[in-house]
Amino acid sequence: MTDIPALAPFEQPVIALERIGKVFPGVIANADVDFDLRAGEIHALLGENGAGKSTLMNILTGIYRPDSGRILLDGVAQTFNSPVEAIAAGIGMVHQHFKLVRAFTVAENVHLGWKETPRLASAQVLEARTRELSERYGLAVRAEARIDELSAGEQQRVEILRVLARQARVLILDEPTAVLTPSEARTLFKALRAFKAAGNSVIFISHKLDEVLEISDRVTVLRGGRKVVTEATANCTTTKLAQLMVGREMVLGGLREAMKPRDEPGRVVISLEDVSAADDRGRAGLIEASLPVRAGEILGIAGVAGNGQRELSEILTGVRKPTSGRVLIEGVAMEDPSPALFLDIGVGHIPEDRLRSGVAPSLSVSDNAVLRAYTEPPIAQGILFKPGAADTLAREIAADAEVTLPSLRTPIRNLSGGNQQRLVARREMRIARLAIVAAYPSRGLDVGAISTLLRYLIDLRNAGVAVVLISEELSELFDVTDRIAVMFKGRVMGLFETKDADLETVGLLMGGQTKQATAPTVEAA
Amino acid sequence: MSGLQSLRLVRVSAVSGRRILAARVISFIAALAVGAVVLAACGFDPLHLGTQILKKSLGSRFGLEDLGLLLTPLILTGLAVTVMMKIGLWNIGADGQFYIGAFAATAIGLFVKGPEPAMLVLCFIAGAAGGALWILVPTLARAYGKVDEIITTLLLNFVALLLVYYVATGPWRDRTTGTVASTGRVPYEMPDFFGSLHWGFVIALIAPVLFGLLLRYTKWGYEIRLTGANPEAAHYAGIPVRRRMIAIMLLSGAIAGLAGMLEVTGTVHRLQGGISNNYGYLGVMVAVLARGSPVGVIAGAALMAIILNAGIILQTQGLTTAAVLALTGLIMMFTAVADQFAHYRLVRALPQAAAATATG
Amino acid sequence: MELITGILTTAVLAGGVLALAALGEVLAERVGVFNLGVEGLMALGGVTGIIAVTLYPNPFFGFAMALLVGLGFGALFALATVVFRANQVLCGLALTMLGSGLAVTIGKGYSGMPAKATFEKIIIPYLSDLPILGRAFFSQNILVYLIYLIIPAVISFMLFRTRHGMNVRAVGENPAAADSAGIPVTLIRFCYVTIGAALGAGAGAYLTLAFVPSWSDGVVAGRGWIAVALVIFAGYRPFGAVFGALLFGVITAIGYVGQARNWPISPTFLSMLPYLGTMLAMILPVFLWRRLRLGFTAPAGLGVPFFRDER
Repeated sequence: MTDIPALAPFEQPVIALERIGKVFPGVIANADVDFDLRAGEIHALLGENGAGKSTLMNILTGIYRPDSGRILLDGVAQTFNSPVEAIAAGIGMVHQHFKLVRAFTVAENVHLGWKETPRLASAQVLEARTRELSERYGLAVRAEARIDELSAGEQQRVEILRVLARQARVLILDEPTAVLTPSEARTLFKALRAFKAAGNSVIFISHKLDEVLEISDRVTVLRGGRKVVTEATANCTTTKLAQLMVGREMVLGGLREAMKPRDEPGRVVISLEDVSAADDRGRAGLIEASLPVRAGEILGIAGVAGNGQRELSEILTGVRKPTSGRVLIEGVAMEDPSPALFLDIGVGHIPEDRLRSGVAPSLSVSDNAVLRAYTEPPIAQGILFKPGAADTLAREIAADAEVTLPSLRTPIRNLSGGNQQRLVARREMRIARLAIVAAYPSRGLDVGAISTLLRYLIDLRNAGVAVVLISEELSELFDVTDRIAVMFKGRVMGLFETKDADLETVGLLMGGQTKQATAPTVEAA
Repeated sequence: MSGLQSLRLVRVSAVSGRRILAARVISFIAALAVGAVVLAACGFDPLHLGTQILKKSLGSRFGLEDLGLLLTPLILTGLAVTVMMKIGLWNIGADGQFYIGAFAATAIGLFVKGPEPAMLVLCFIAGAAGGALWILVPTLARAYGKVDEIITTLLLNFVALLLVYYVATGPWRDRTTGTVASTGRVPYEMPDFFGSLHWGFVIALIAPVLFGLLLRYTKWGYEIRLTGANPEAAHYAGIPVRRRMIAIMLLSGAIAGLAGMLEVTGTVHRLQGGISNNYGYLGVMVAVLARGSPVGVIAGAALMAIILNAGIILQTQGLTTAAVLALTGLIMMFTAVADQFAHYRLVRALPQAAAATATG
Repeated sequence: MELITGILTTAVLAGGVLALAALGEVLAERVGVFNLGVEGLMALGGVTGIIAVTLYPNPFFGFAMALLVGLGFGALFALATVVFRANQVLCGLALTMLGSGLAVTIGKGYSGMPAKATFEKIIIPYLSDLPILGRAFFSQNILVYLIYLIIPAVISFMLFRTRHGMNVRAVGENPAAADSAGIPVTLIRFCYVTIGAALGAGAGAYLTLAFVPSWSDGVVAGRGWIAVALVIFAGYRPFGAVFGALLFGVITAIGYVGQARNWPISPTFLSMLPYLGTMLAMILPVFLWRRLRLGFTAPAGLGVPFFRDER
């Protein structure tokens, strides 16, 4: 049992938050939270979605003002009225959604709002300065490139460079590995350890238990806006942390037990043969992908977001036409795929960003519930639309989803994220006779909601429906899938039975690398 | 923390219709107040003017009929703009489509001979087709090229105006009476409904109701609502978004064109240079007031009709209809601001608020 | 030769109206605000210019008064759209209606009267002796030199070569990021929208004091809208806007020349040319400039009101 030594009497933590409280209309975001950060430590902040982690850090970095409590920097009370003041005090944050100007170059972004930027600043001057900074801090960036040309990992480096250039001693990272491949994550961790070794500190916000255990020295768990505990990482296990996060006995892995065993692989219901497809901008989205989707199975698609998963889910649901290759449904090639056709066939779709493509936020729950059913009786009758029948269906779906509604007329955006997702899921499950494609269904949901959603998918699987689960959480994929495919830059890099797959191989494939083949025997002279 | 300190102005995202209505009523009164101040500064007596207007428009049968005659084009242009708002686009070209609808109806009236009922039907079709044709290029540009429809529809207003002036002062000019900027009399007339009100008025009343029913009770209407609310979701649901967009835009143009046709065949009986009293632009205001409700269009048009009528009455006092335009602009700006104000409320920040629950 | 010189000279003069209004709109749209009230601002500026020189016959006085009026109404518009975050399209239309209506009402007594003071030509030595270009470009009034050269140069330099300009562009591209970086988003938006509006009103004064030069009920004739379209066509760049304005000046000039020379086409149809030309200019780029698109896209934050999460 290792204990982190307590601070010596004269030592102050670099940052101390005392009894911080923050309230928004209808929500208590933080209540009575104590938090401290020591020099030379990496301190993880753990909690479910909505636990208050981001709010706490936004208070620390001057984006919000606390309603109660105080902030101490090196023992001295501080108020930050704006992000600029926090930055001046040496606290820098890299947000989950990067605050970069996409049309600007790297150099311009690094210099934005920085008091050391020269008044007369041409592009060349800024780029030269940026290159010098890049070398100094050891973060490789292309100074003249526009942000929207960079990968997520590169963009993150730009954000970190921005923070370091302003001489931050405290680096706050909000869910940094969400957009990184496993190897990029390792590079990040190396950089963080170097930062720590120089005497600086890191606050690492995450909901990924394994990473928290890997990188942090101490971990603080938030739940429902309150602090649950601060503990030395060495004393924690994933189970314990999960329990602290959720607040009740939660047995991880119960999902696997719910899956009926298969005797033999199911029949192929959807098959992609060498399918290529373009993305929205006309560039290559999917490249010569071949994938069999089998009934009664959950096929997981692993990969960092943006490597063709969107186009894959659109091909599988008829929203996108392939530019080459064939899409076969139960062995029959589809000449003219369309969403209506796939709806007829019985393919459901839980889209990646439900607010963007799964629901119409301003329309009522009833209108949203019949999105997949309005062309058929009883909702439709010839050219007519029957609101009464729509309401009936909406009530049924809401009951299935266990969502209580004050009225069917409320705009669906008034519902919580979890409720919306469950409604969409049950709506799609109704029509998913053959298959269902779920893209990142657990994004933005808390552990309870995630578990419910995965159970829905398992129920479908057990009933013989083919399930395709696109996810960026490897733990989720290893938990509930029968087989895993890995996508990288539009290609399917590999397809494995989950029980035969190992984390390292999958992680490498996600980054485009194959395992080093055993060295060929050297031809001895 | 003292009670006053914890009062905060907080923005709420979902707002009830009642709050918005309340805010708008306040802003309308404020705009009128500003207008009254300006009038007073120019030497007019606003109260006297106000009572004159109310007496003349609402106090007599002729006044009410005048209102009805103004209502007809206003309801229809307001509906045209509202129709297009359903998919989130602005039709600022209703004025031009109005002119072209009038133009087309006049063309039939002056050059095609036949029995009146049949000819009126032909004019009806021509008016609607003219309006749809006039919005066709902006429609295709928007549907296929994402070209901003605000400016394209608007530019064609000027072209339509020039075209009408050209024929009204040139090839079609009234050679019998020599009226300036006017064609000869169009022989086909919309039959009278009540006093000087013609059946166009009834058509104008029915049209929004019809559209409202279409939206709520047909599959097409559902698809339009979905497309307007979230084109991505509509696409995922298999709706041909672009086709629906084009259909709505053409419908919008057709309705505005119809307004022009009814004005020629029902009210003015000639094609005149200034046949549109800025009906197209006032139609935008009507749509703003209606907030997307087809039946609300009738109420909004009624308000604008009173204001427009006021302007016409005020001409005798030395003001022009341009002043009505200015006042409408003022009201529009105040309304837009009021819509924002309605989202704010004063909130007491109490940490132990019982009603607070964490959002999912 | 004479014809070309004539057309070009008129084009430069006519284009000046559009150019100044477009430059103002570039400023507004670069900070993310769509100001559709340019038409109304031009009307107000035009009538103010005429009335001002009647009171004190100096064209610069008239121009300055127009700028002031533009600042005033611009501030009103900025208050509504930037501070209160009301819908920009509605407020712009409202400003157009308000401005146009007000200007016509106020200007009733001045309709048709020639301006009591106009801008004189300033002949630049040597350069004005160049064939064609000399008369067209270097023998114009001072406003032309200001509009075509000095103002766009200043704006360009500011936007692309200074720290302040980078901040301004950031406000238009990503106000949330700019706000995080400590840039005063609301203040910058307010100031540049107001200044842009002043330029728009100035364009109206140029119209009634240098181009026509007189005021009448409809003298603006949609030029404000053409200016807004121009900004899109020009890729939100100052010199692009000026060049586009010149192009439109040419189209307008051809129309005038056609009327003067009794071409067989009716003057009414010639008057339609600028509007049809603008439509073409808005539609063609979609098909021709697919590849060059990157440099011509709008500031990403254009038209979106900025709500900072409350502190």
